[in-house]
Amino acid sequence: MMNAKLKRSILFWLFLSPIVVVILFPYVVMTITSLKSATEVLNPTWWPEELHWQNFSEMWQTSGIASALANSLYVSTLSTLLTIIVSIPAAYALSRYQFAGRNAYRQFLLVSQMLSPIVLVIGLFRLVANAGMIDNLNVLVIIYTGFNIAFCVWMLQSYFSTIPRDLEEAAWMEGANRWRTLRSVFLPLAVPAMVVTAIFTFINAWNEFVIALTMLRKEENYTLPIRVLSLVAGRYTVDWHYVMAAAFVASVPVAILFAWLQRYLVRGLSIGAVK
Amino acid sequence: MQRATAPYFLILPSFILAAAIILWPLKEIVSLSLHDVNRFGMLREFVGLEHFRVLFADPDFIAATWRTLIWTACVVLGTLIVSVPIALILNEDFYGRGIARILIMLPWAISLTMTAVVWRWALNGESGMLNSALRDLGLIGSNIQWLAEASTAFPMQILIGILVSVPFTVTIFLGGLSSVPDDLYEAAATEGAGRWDQFRLITLPLLRPFINIAFVLNTIYVFNSFPIIWVTTQGGPANSTHILVTYLYELGFRLGRLGEAAAISLIMFAILLVFTLIYVRLAMREEKP
Repeated sequence: MMNAKLKRSILFWLFLSPIVVVILFPYVVMTITSLKSATEVLNPTWWPEELHWQNFSEMWQTSGIASALANSLYVSTLSTLLTIIVSIPAAYALSRYQFAGRNAYRQFLLVSQMLSPIVLVIGLFRLVANAGMIDNLNVLVIIYTGFNIAFCVWMLQSYFSTIPRDLEEAAWMEGANRWRTLRSVFLPLAVPAMVVTAIFTFINAWNEFVIALTMLRKEENYTLPIRVLSLVAGRYTVDWHYVMAAAFVASVPVAILFAWLQRYLVRGLSIGAVK
Repeated sequence: MQRATAPYFLILPSFILAAAIILWPLKEIVSLSLHDVNRFGMLREFVGLEHFRVLFADPDFIAATWRTLIWTACVVLGTLIVSVPIALILNEDFYGRGIARILIMLPWAISLTMTAVVWRWALNGESGMLNSALRDLGLIGSNIQWLAEASTAFPMQILIGILVSVPFTVTIFLGGLSSVPDDLYEAAATEGAGRWDQFRLITLPLLRPFINIAFVLNTIYVFNSFPIIWVTTQGGPANSTHILVTYLYELGFRLGRLGEAAAISLIMFAILLVFTLIYVRLAMREEKP
C-alpha cells in the first residue's frame, strides 16, 4: 500500500526530472571535467578514470585566480558596504515619512533598475577613460553601487514597512528622541533585512560581467568572471580541466550562500510586490 | 522645519550616486550619437542623425534587430510555458520539495558568465559532453558542431536563456500561488469541478497579474542579456548570432565605431523606456485594489 503523498511525490518528481536533468547538466559537466586528467579531458567520458584533485592546486598556481578572487572580494565587499550605507537612510525615509516627491523617487528607482549596465557602457567607458581611471578597481566599486542602489532601497523599504511603528512610537512617548529611537529600537529590528539585502548585493557585484570586461585591461586587475573568460577566449588551446576547476571555485561558495538565502528573496520580492 | 527636510537629506546620497551613474553616461551617449567620433572617442563635428542613418542601412544591424526580437520572444515565452507547471508542482506538498526548489533555483545562484563558459565547453564539437550524452541516448549518429553555425548555436543560446530565466519566474509565480486561498479549490471540488477546470477557472485567472509582471520583467532582462551570447559565440560566426547588445559591444569596443554604438544604446534605451512604462502601469494596477 502506498499513501497518497508518496504517490504524488513520485509523480511530481517524474514530471520535474527532465527539467532538473537539463538544469543540472552543465554543472555536472563542470564538476566532472574539473576532476579529469589532462589526457582524459578530451574524451567525453562520464566518470574520470582517476580523480585529479591536483587540478585545483595546479589551476590555483597557473591561472592567476588568486588575485582575481582578491579583486572580486575587494570590489564586491566595498560596493556592498557603500550601497548599504546610502540605501538604509533612503529606505527609512520611504517607509517612515510622507513627503512630496516620494512617489517620483520610487519611480526613479524603478526606472533605474530597468537599465542594465550594457545600455550605458559606452557612456560610462568614455567618462572613465577621460578621467584616466581605466583599470581602477575603485571605479568599479562606484559603478556597481550606482546600479545596485535601486534594488537595495526597494528590498529594504519593503522589509522596513513590515516593522511595526508602534514600537518606535512607544519609545517617543517615553521621551527618546528620533535618533535614539532609531538606534535602539528600529535598527536592531532591521538588522536581518539589512544582512539579507547586503548579501544579495554582494552576489550581484560578484557576478557582474560587462562593466568589468570593459573597465579592466590589465590581467592583474581582473575580477573572477573576466579571469575565467580570459582562460577560454582568444586562446588556441584551452586547458578545459583548469577552466572548469576555476569556474567551480568561482561559483560554489556563492551558490551555497544563495541556496541558503533564496527563501528570503522570495519573501522580499513578494512583500515588495504587495506594499 | 526639521521634519520637512529630513527625508530629503536621507534620500540625497542614494539619489546623487544613482543619478550620476545613470544620467551622466546617458548625456555622454547622446552627444556621441550626434557627433562624428574617431575610434579613440574624440568628438569632431556635429552630424545630427547621420549615425542612425548609417545603422538603418547596415544589414548586420537590421539582422541583429530581428534576431533580438526572436531571441526575446522565444526566451520569454519558453520561460513562461516551462515555469507555470514547475511553480504549480513546487507549490504542492510532496517529499523532497525543498531539494527540488534548490535544484530549480540553481542557475540563478551561479553567474551567467560561468554558466555560459561551462556550456561553451559542453557544446564543444569533439569533446563536448552534450554530443556524447545525445549519442548514448541514440538521438544523434555523429557529433554536431553546435557553435560552428547559427542554425545550431542560436537555438542552443535560446535554450540556455530559458534555463537561466526559469528560477526568477518560478519565484514570482510561487509568490502569486501562495496568495490563492485553499477554500476556493474546496468549494470548486464540491461543485464537481475537475483538476483541469480548477486550474483554468481559479488558478490561471488569479495568477494572471503575476504572469503579466513576469512577462514584462523577463522581457526587459532578456532584451538586455549579454553574457550568454558573448561568451558562447561573441556574435559569430560571421555576425550570425548577434543581438543588439552584443552588436553594440562589438561596434563600440572591437570596431571603434563609437557613434553608431551610442546610437544603438539610445534606440535600446527608448525601447526599454516603453517596457518600463508598461511595467509601472501593471505594478500600479496591482497596488490599487
